Amino acid sequence: MRKGYIWKRLLRSVVSILVIMLIVFTMVYTMIPRDNIFFEDSTYRKLGGKSDDKTEYVYTTWEKLGYLDYVRINDYCLTLYEAGSPEMIAAIEPDSPESRDFVEYYSSQGYTIANYLKSGRYYAYKDIPVIKRMASWLGHLFVIDTPWSVQDETNPDLERSLRFGTTPTGGLALIGSGTTHKYLLYTDSRFPFIHQNIITMNFGTSYPTYQGLDVLKVLFQSQGTEVKRPVTFETGYEAESGIIFGSLKYKSVLDRMDMKKFTDHYANYETQKGQPSMIGTSFIMGLFAMVLAYVLGLPIGVLMARNKDKFADKLGMVYIIFIIAVPSLAYIYLFRYLGTTLFNLPSVFTTYGPEDIRSWILPIISLALPSIASLMLWTRRYVVDQMNSDYVKFAKAKGLNQREIFSGHIFKNAIIPIAQGIPASLAACITGAIITESIYSVGGMGKMLPNAIKQYNNIMVVALAFIFSTVSVLSVLAGDIVLTKVDPRISLSEKAGRS
Amino acid sequence: MNTENIDKSLFTFAAFDEMESEHIAAPRYSYWKSVWKTFFKNKFTVAVAVLLIVVVAFALIQPTRSGYSPINTPNINNAELKFLKPSAEHIFGTDHVGNEVFDAVWAGARNSIIISFVCTAINMLVGIPVGALWGFSKKMDKWMIEVYNIISNVPFLLLAMILSYVLGAGMRSLIITMTCTEWIYVAYFIRTQVMIIRDREYNMASKCLGTRTWTMILKNILPYLISVIMTYVSRQIPSLISYEVFLSYMGLGLGTTNASLGQSISLYTSYMNGYPHLFWIPVGVLAFISISLYIVGQKLADAADPRTHM
Repeated sequence: MRKGYIWKRLLRSVVSILVIMLIVFTMVYTMIPRDNIFFEDSTYRKLGGKSDDKTEYVYTTWEKLGYLDYVRINDYCLTLYEAGSPEMIAAIEPDSPESRDFVEYYSSQGYTIANYLKSGRYYAYKDIPVIKRMASWLGHLFVIDTPWSVQDETNPDLERSLRFGTTPTGGLALIGSGTTHKYLLYTDSRFPFIHQNIITMNFGTSYPTYQGLDVLKVLFQSQGTEVKRPVTFETGYEAESGIIFGSLKYKSVLDRMDMKKFTDHYANYETQKGQPSMIGTSFIMGLFAMVLAYVLGLPIGVLMARNKDKFADKLGMVYIIFIIAVPSLAYIYLFRYLGTTLFNLPSVFTTYGPEDIRSWILPIISLALPSIASLMLWTRRYVVDQMNSDYVKFAKAKGLNQREIFSGHIFKNAIIPIAQGIPASLAACITGAIITESIYSVGGMGKMLPNAIKQYNNIMVVALAFIFSTVSVLSVLAGDIVLTKVDPRISLSEKAGRS
Repeated sequence: MNTENIDKSLFTFAAFDEMESEHIAAPRYSYWKSVWKTFFKNKFTVAVAVLLIVVVAFALIQPTRSGYSPINTPNINNAELKFLKPSAEHIFGTDHVGNEVFDAVWAGARNSIIISFVCTAINMLVGIPVGALWGFSKKMDKWMIEVYNIISNVPFLLLAMILSYVLGAGMRSLIITMTCTEWIYVAYFIRTQVMIIRDREYNMASKCLGTRTWTMILKNILPYLISVIMTYVSRQIPSLISYEVFLSYMGLGLGTTNASLGQSISLYTSYMNGYPHLFWIPVGVLAFISISLYIVGQKLADAADPRTHM
């Protein structure tokens, strides 16, 4: 396969992802009524019926989420007078000349002018077009950490430097000052052993659910209770803590505890918790289910093909038809019922939690059931097709026995289209399984997208749509590359092959 | 042999007929007749098909008699009529509001059947022509692959949600939800099938002789695909019923005012441990309809393959 093809294909994939994001942005920001985002917001509910605070809260929230540009008369007057001065106090009232200028200027700029219900003061707002909204989202997507990242007025003498050193746990590190993260590059004992904080992705802050949390943290941070271990901080202070030293970030205002633990301003940190992250939970579950599916589906499919139209084949077909025809909701309940009554397994994940292996068995089996069926079906189909081909007849004529024909010829050819699907099944693991996870109450990714949609967490919807579509588009490409690796006869580029 | 005694008036001279001389004596072959003949050979399939027709007809007619609607709950305050086990009087028992499960299930089955049939028809009508053209033209393929990437990656739950917003929950928005992205999968499937036979010798010959693209698709390629398409349809109908169950489970189905099997299943799920019949009866009816549709469809597909007609 030519390198040029992959590059072109990658480029086209990026364009596809951008179009997907544009569609998602349009749907989320123009088609869902923007008042709905407050349904799940407790702060909003506490604000009284028609107070100006409510108007203020609503518009600042919309501005923060990127719906519109919002200007108050106060902001406008602050550019003219000093805060708290008598001119300022007079200017913000609705009948002042400044208010007239404000109205005139902003209406000429295409803003909509409105009055606060109680005080009657002016404010102006203008919708931000979807394209602009998306452009600003993309612009903030990748954050590069430099020694000039932190601009803190309360700390003007902050040193701006990079040096090599070690982390408190003994790993090598590139240590920054003036950077957002303390350790830009470091090694430790956690997978994948070398970590970096130089380029980070920023999907924004979750709202209204998981309020104030970084979206990526919601998805990737370990869940449950903190796992404490004895730690010696850089100051020599010893305590039980679940601190992850690599996550240290700049903190502007330090409290007493921070000063006890740290010598510098890097005092914001994440803690190690006992349970895997949402994405981790789904991935572990998906991965085991996938392995189970391939380990069972492939041999059974081959077995069915070898005994075509005999009992084993018919039995397999019954299972396949059952899985196709019965909704997943129903057969997952059926298998859960069987598992809990016959093998005394927990009916929900949370009974024993993720630490106990018994919690994982039923969800993994439930998740594997449909994959096993479809792998059986397609393996059987491909093997049967290969069995009828001329080269197999020739191999037979040469005097090879059944086993040699199967392992040396048929299986190698039948596996080609199946190998193509492996990257896609891997990618599907991180998306999580909506029904399985909700039936067993697993804290995975599956519920995230439906919940985010239902609770109008637009930031989360956009972030998830981006992560899922990127992984899925790339996995299709990876599948095609795998295809050409297992079968060198196949060419993807237009010119090289006939088709 | 003596030919003198034969009455010559019995014979007439036949005119020379050029067409007649071209005629090759072969058994008459009608494609569709052979399809039906092959199909009816298997007694088991015929039995399933008859049973299926009876059940579908019953599902279509019974609800108009019972007039069941999930918002009508006349027995909601009558504790004696709630959660009754199946009996002669209450064939499928009663549910949490004292309604007959029998009526609920058939009203649900009616809507589910209508939805899955209409959606399958729309998906096929759009997907097959697009897929045929897509598989045929390499230029189109390059772009359609990206269109496929885009459409298949827009989160469908978001789409379903927004459609139910814009159009309101109901049959119409559900049908649009289940067709507005599904057709691309049909088209993709047909595309792959067309690509496989596109470059066969008979098609190249046909192309050399100047056959137009559409004629080639309609006369050379699609007839080849009838059995494959039927297999696909027989899988699509049950999968759409499951899809409807899934959407109802997510709260994006027909809405609470309409009955559907998905609605019943997701509603009765919570009573599974205490009153298992509430859950298993709708699932059983659904499974019966799906499985028999699948079997009949598969057998029809087999019969549609001319190679089985010999």
